[in-house]
This record gives sequence, C-alpha cells and structure tokens, in this order.
Amino acid sequence: MVRPWAFSFQRYPHGMENAAPIEGTGLADGAGPADGTGLAAAAAPAPSGPGWRFLVAPRWLGWHLLMAVSFWGMLWLGDWQFHRALSGNALSWAYTFEWPLFAGFAVVFWTKTIRDEFRIKRGETLTGSAEEAESLPFGVGMIQARAAQSATPADDEDPELSAYNAYLTRLNAEVKNHGRWHGLR
Amino acid sequence: MEAAVLRYRVMAYITGVVLVFLCFVGIPLQVAGHPAVANNVGVVHGILYIIYLVFAWILSRKLQLANKPTVIMLLAGTVPIMTFIVERWITRRFITPALASQAETAEPVSPRAS
Repeated sequence: MVRPWAFSFQRYPHGMENAAPIEGTGLADGAGPADGTGLAAAAAPAPSGPGWRFLVAPRWLGWHLLMAVSFWGMLWLGDWQFHRALSGNALSWAYTFEWPLFAGFAVVFWTKTIRDEFRIKRGETLTGSAEEAESLPFGVGMIQARAAQSATPADDEDPELSAYNAYLTRLNAEVKNHGRWHGLR
Repeated sequence: MEAAVLRYRVMAYITGVVLVFLCFVGIPLQVAGHPAVANNVGVVHGILYIIYLVFAWILSRKLQLANKPTVIMLLAGTVPIMTFIVERWITRRFITPALASQAETAEPVSPRAS
C-alpha cells in the first residue's frame, strides 16, 4: 500500500532523484509549453532510459500547464490579499497565508504524483507491466486492474475451487454493475 | 485504507456543510448588510479546506487514482454541494472496488476450509 509521507530516495535507484528538481524548474519557468522542453532537456542526460517520456505527452503537458497556471494564480491571489490586508482589511490576513499554502500544496502534490507515476511505470508495486498501466481506461485505478487480474482462475488450484471462484467473481461483477448509478438519479 | 477513507469522508461532509452554510446563509446575509457571518465562516471554511485537501490527497494516493479524478476530488471542496456528489461518486467508483479487492487478497476464498 502506498504511504504518501514515507517516500524515500532509496526506492528510486536511478534517475528518480531528478523528478522533484525537474518539476520545480518546470513550475518556476511558468510558461506551459516551455515546461515540456525544459523537462526534456533536463531529463535527457539522466540514465533512467525512456521512462520519463510520458511527461512530455500532450495529456501530461496539459497537466503541467494547469499546475503552472494554478500555482502562479494562487501566488497572485495571495499577493492580492496581502495588498488588501495592508490597506486595512484585517480579514485578508488569513487569506494572505492561505493562498501561498495552497500554491505549495500544488507543487508538493504534483511532485509526488509524478514520482508515483514513475514508480507505476517501473512496475515496482504492480504485477502488470507499464504498457498495461498506460492502456487502462479512464478512471480505472491500478488496484481495480490488479483485482481483475487476481480474479482470473489460478491454474494451480483444483477445478472445483477455481469454478467456485469464477462463480463468485461473476456474482460480484453482477452485483457491482447493478444499480451502479443509483443515488445520482 | 479504511482509516484514510473515514478521514476523507468526515472532512468531505464537514467541509461541505460549512460551505453550504457559507453560500446559502452567509452570502445572503452579507448582501443584506451583515457581513460578519460570511467573514467568519469563510475563514473557517478556508482552514477546513486545507485539512480536507490533505486527507483527500492521501486517499487519492492510496487508491492510486488517475490525475483527473484526483483533481476533481480536491476541487470539490470549493464548490457548494459538490463534496457530497463527489464523495458518493468516489465511493462507488473507487473506494468500494478497492476495499473489495483488498478483502479478496487478504482472505482467499476457500470452500475446503469450512
């Protein structure tokens, strides 16, 4: 199980140390498209192989852009609240400290997200390969994928038990699919 | 996992209730000329939202969510009523399957054992 606050560099033997600084410079550059080129240029000499390439895919460039814009937007809002606070609006002091905190969250969350993504691509926590991780449909997490994998009958069991397991899996799928959107209607 | 789910759920509901109160009681009072409620509840919501962000993000990592549902989950705390809808969606779509698969791996089904 992933423990978000227990990351250590030892788990990323080669190249992973670059993840945080790369993202830091990408955010500091501010411009969205420049993020991708900056990432590519910085990550190229790393011996991590082609593992980082997903970061310059269009979808991830979009995420980088969104994170950069929201980071600078939140800093700008903090600055705006700071000026409001200086001009006598006492309430703005709370927001003056809140907005930079949110901006910091954005950086920390994004850095750890990219680190997680590297780990998933390496297949460190997964039985599946990186290709399988990439081809997962939207909204299907790795846990669900692994559950589906483990649901296939094991060939070291006797046929009676695997048939029973297949029956349970089918029942489970039926129950899950039934009334999936109840509550939203 | 269960503890993270509980923390997220509690914060989602508290933040949601405070935000609904802020938007549907505080803002009308502010428009009517009594800004004190909106000001105080606004600051409270800001602090609660920070806690919500942390818990929601920890849960999103444990569920190994993709970026899109993670961002939706985190931003839900800023839109009135949205935390309730998103909490139900996340539960149905991600939490329940994840807990089910966890239970499956913890106790493999074995009719012979009984």
